[in-house]
Amino acid sequence: MSLLNGITYGLLLFMLSSGLTLIFSMMGILNFAHASFYMLGAYFAYQISTWVGFWPGLLVAPLIVGAVGAAVERYGLRRAHRFGHVAELLFTFGLAFVVEEVVQLIWGKVAVDYRIPAELDGTLFTLFSTDFPIYKGFMMLISVGMLVALYALLTRTRIGLIIQAALTKPDMVEALGHNVPRIFMLVFGGGTALAGLAGVIGGNAFITEPGMAAAVGSIVFVVVVVGGLGSLGGAFVASLLIGCIQTFSVALSISVTDVFALIGVSLPQGSQVARLTITQLAPVLPYLLMVGILIFRPRGLMGARES
Amino acid sequence: MTAPAIRISGLRKNFGASEIIRGVDLDIHRGERHAVIGPNGAGKSTLFHLISARLPVSAGAIELKGENVVGLKPFEINRKGLSRSFQITNIFHNLSVFENLRCAVLWSLGYRYSFWQRLAGLKDARQRAEAVMEDIGLAKRRDTPAGILSYAEQRALEIGITIASGADVILLDEPTAGMSRSETDDAVALIRRVTEGKTLVMVEHDMGVVFGLADRISVLVYGQIIATDAPAAIRCNAAVQEAYLGTSPHLGNEHD
Amino acid sequence: MNSAIFPRGRLLLWGGCLAAAIALPLLFKSGFVVSLLCQMGIMVVFALSYNMLLGQTGLLSFGHAVYYGLGAFVTMHALNIVGKDGGPLTTALLPLVGGLAGMLAGVLLGYVTTKKAGTTFAMISLGIGELVAASALMFPGFFGGEGGVSGNRVVGKENLLGLTWGPQVEMYGLIVAWAFLATVAMFALTQTPLGRMANAVRDNPERAEFVGYDTQRVRFLMVILSGLFAGIAGGLSALNYEIITAETLNAHTSGVVLLMTFVGGIGFFYGPIIGAILITVMQIVIGGLTHAWLLYFGLFFLFMVLMAPGGIASVIAVQRNLWLAGLLGRMLPHYLAVALPVLVLLAGLVGLVELSYALLAGEGVGAGDTATRVMTMEFHLNTPGPWLAALGTTALGLLLTRWIGSRAGVAWNAALATLHGDKA
Repeated sequence: MSLLNGITYGLLLFMLSSGLTLIFSMMGILNFAHASFYMLGAYFAYQISTWVGFWPGLLVAPLIVGAVGAAVERYGLRRAHRFGHVAELLFTFGLAFVVEEVVQLIWGKVAVDYRIPAELDGTLFTLFSTDFPIYKGFMMLISVGMLVALYALLTRTRIGLIIQAALTKPDMVEALGHNVPRIFMLVFGGGTALAGLAGVIGGNAFITEPGMAAAVGSIVFVVVVVGGLGSLGGAFVASLLIGCIQTFSVALSISVTDVFALIGVSLPQGSQVARLTITQLAPVLPYLLMVGILIFRPRGLMGARES
Repeated sequence: MTAPAIRISGLRKNFGASEIIRGVDLDIHRGERHAVIGPNGAGKSTLFHLISARLPVSAGAIELKGENVVGLKPFEINRKGLSRSFQITNIFHNLSVFENLRCAVLWSLGYRYSFWQRLAGLKDARQRAEAVMEDIGLAKRRDTPAGILSYAEQRALEIGITIASGADVILLDEPTAGMSRSETDDAVALIRRVTEGKTLVMVEHDMGVVFGLADRISVLVYGQIIATDAPAAIRCNAAVQEAYLGTSPHLGNEHD
Repeated sequence: MNSAIFPRGRLLLWGGCLAAAIALPLLFKSGFVVSLLCQMGIMVVFALSYNMLLGQTGLLSFGHAVYYGLGAFVTMHALNIVGKDGGPLTTALLPLVGGLAGMLAGVLLGYVTTKKAGTTFAMISLGIGELVAASALMFPGFFGGEGGVSGNRVVGKENLLGLTWGPQVEMYGLIVAWAFLATVAMFALTQTPLGRMANAVRDNPERAEFVGYDTQRVRFLMVILSGLFAGIAGGLSALNYEIITAETLNAHTSGVVLLMTFVGGIGFFYGPIIGAILITVMQIVIGGLTHAWLLYFGLFFLFMVLMAPGGIASVIAVQRNLWLAGLLGRMLPHYLAVALPVLVLLAGLVGLVELSYALLAGEGVGAGDTATRVMTMEFHLNTPGPWLAALGTTALGLLLTRWIGSRAGVAWNAALATLHGDKA
């Protein structure tokens, strides 16, 4: 059951990390504001759902987010690009800052009541006396559907081929395609729209509040580092891995002492570390994983490129 | 007898399925000026990258003055007395000409990662940097940021950084690429002057430069050395002529 | 960095800054100004330590608060130990404890982060920052949980000078002393072999390797040393506020120091000093006027990234060059001409933001109320009047800015061309 939850969460993470990876591979930009677009997706969907319901929002909100993303690329990043990568990164950083403030300005500092639509509220099936909600199933359906569409786009279309080429031979495409700003705008818009969609289906499953971007953003970066920068496959594996780790660890109440006892090490009783349970450790586990990966496999799980 | 400056044996390098260096054996004698020539794509730059550890070696051995250097990092090889220049100018763009050269001499003078000594007080570093600056003719550009120098000046600085540390084995990758005739002549004179008494290996397309400077020439074709000999012998070598005539009709000025 | 040194001019400048720092609280005796100055002093050290990474080594860190925060916590615990058991340390020396803690953190964390440079370093620094911030909540014994850790900086008797560090002015003196020492030390570092090689690694890591330097080692050492100074800043903040919470460690603090440093200018040693002072003042002054100040701050930052990526210091440097070339006089009328429409534009934008904020966030007179006060003026939000006025002002400002701005731009380019023409 935790596994299914973990996969659901992992797929959501992949919707974010895939967009981030695509943008990074194509444009060399690490979009610091990526999770902000996730947040915008959730808020737009919330706003639309209060007017006309959930379903139109599912379609419209990601499109608006994508349009905002494309505009950001066109009027902001393209200018920052002239000053180099640090300026680009700082621009997206500042953007994340501004988006958070604007969201607070419009929707307030507390979480908004963005709910799962009534027709998806309920239990899909029950396994080992735990309910699996319909909405989780719906999330899986949307994310898998999105991934299939993305895969088809990447392998079956011209733009997809160019993007794919960028993943494996960035220098080559840079030489050939660096003067294709429209593709950049498209990739950025597409990547952010994907993040927006993740926000639409994730916002009501988790929480829609101004802090959600910061909370998810750093996890997405961990995913990308663990998976290997610029690797879609790596991002996929790492998303699922971290999704599962986070979901599992929340459910485990054994303490660090127990874990060490399993491998035959007994910790001195009474120290704070020894008394921590895995659940308490849950928020830091992804980061610990990242540190471990960096020490033992600096390229990431499937990363081919050093940066 | 002392070991050769560089001894390469059975060197191979492949990128995925394509093998760029296909078994190179080469001895570079101490104190000689050695040119590596060959058609575009023959693997000359790759060979340099392997020697200087910019790229990892797939198979084979490289010895620097009798010591194995395969698997070392670029800075470790540099500390053993091998210094190189780059085909695409590789300098510290935001630092002045003088600072570029001073950075290049710091390690060899033993200042390492010192953060307790004032740079301004390091007389030997200043003098050596100034001497090199004089040598490469950039003394009047002392405080100009390297990024806004002219192309020829940047190339001269590139050579200056390469020789400043006092390394005794120098690798120059197309030192005259993109230069006009007169700039090339200046560059040749400069190279001759600053590599006096050192081992020089260079990749060069300009045959005037090659035959004017080199004591020996190696011809690299499709990742293999087909001949190594004195310039006169290379000129008459049938295999070389065939390789060159087969791929490029003139032994003229060209670059990748 | 110019290699020529003018010790006398430099001494005068440093001495002047020190004298100003000492004189300011004598001129403005209000407690508000003194605590503002204290905060500035701390932020100056913090921002300078950050620029050791960003400006000097080219390392964009999103987790610099870790060193600052750990320095602060360790100092606070040291303070409490000294307060309880006495011991060899006095309050005045405690920031050094914070510095050592920051340095130690630099050794441990820097080992992991400096395995990479560039974008990856940025991401990893963020992850490590989150790791430490999240861990802080797991160890309430050390980090004090939600409430943080507090202490009392007045320990023991008066010292030799008769100071207890209790009054804010005495604390300010301590901050100035430490900030001055740290600034001198950090400047000196830029003039050492390591400092210069950090610049080289920033400009071209590959070339740095080929002149014999291990770039990873250079970055690592710079992170450690930067941790030292960040820790000193953290230690000062612990003594100054006498309370430290886990928020000190988090991404927000890291973000603020990045913004300060960048806005001030990363290409100049004094840039972060300007940034720290300016942003601290903005934070307090504008923060006191409007709740939307973080938004203004963010927009200001975006504006700087797009328009003046060299920060305020580089703007000053260009003006100085123009002045030296005798061209500044030509530009001044244009600056004044542009200032007017820009002010109009700003007024319009601020009006819009404040009106929205008042309406949507329920600020002002009360939630649900439709009248609000913006800077002593009362507006009725449900009438179109204020909105139209704000919109109109914005549009007018925009038009005028574009019109006058383009003319000023022509003059600007001409002046720059003359300037660079003179140089070449």
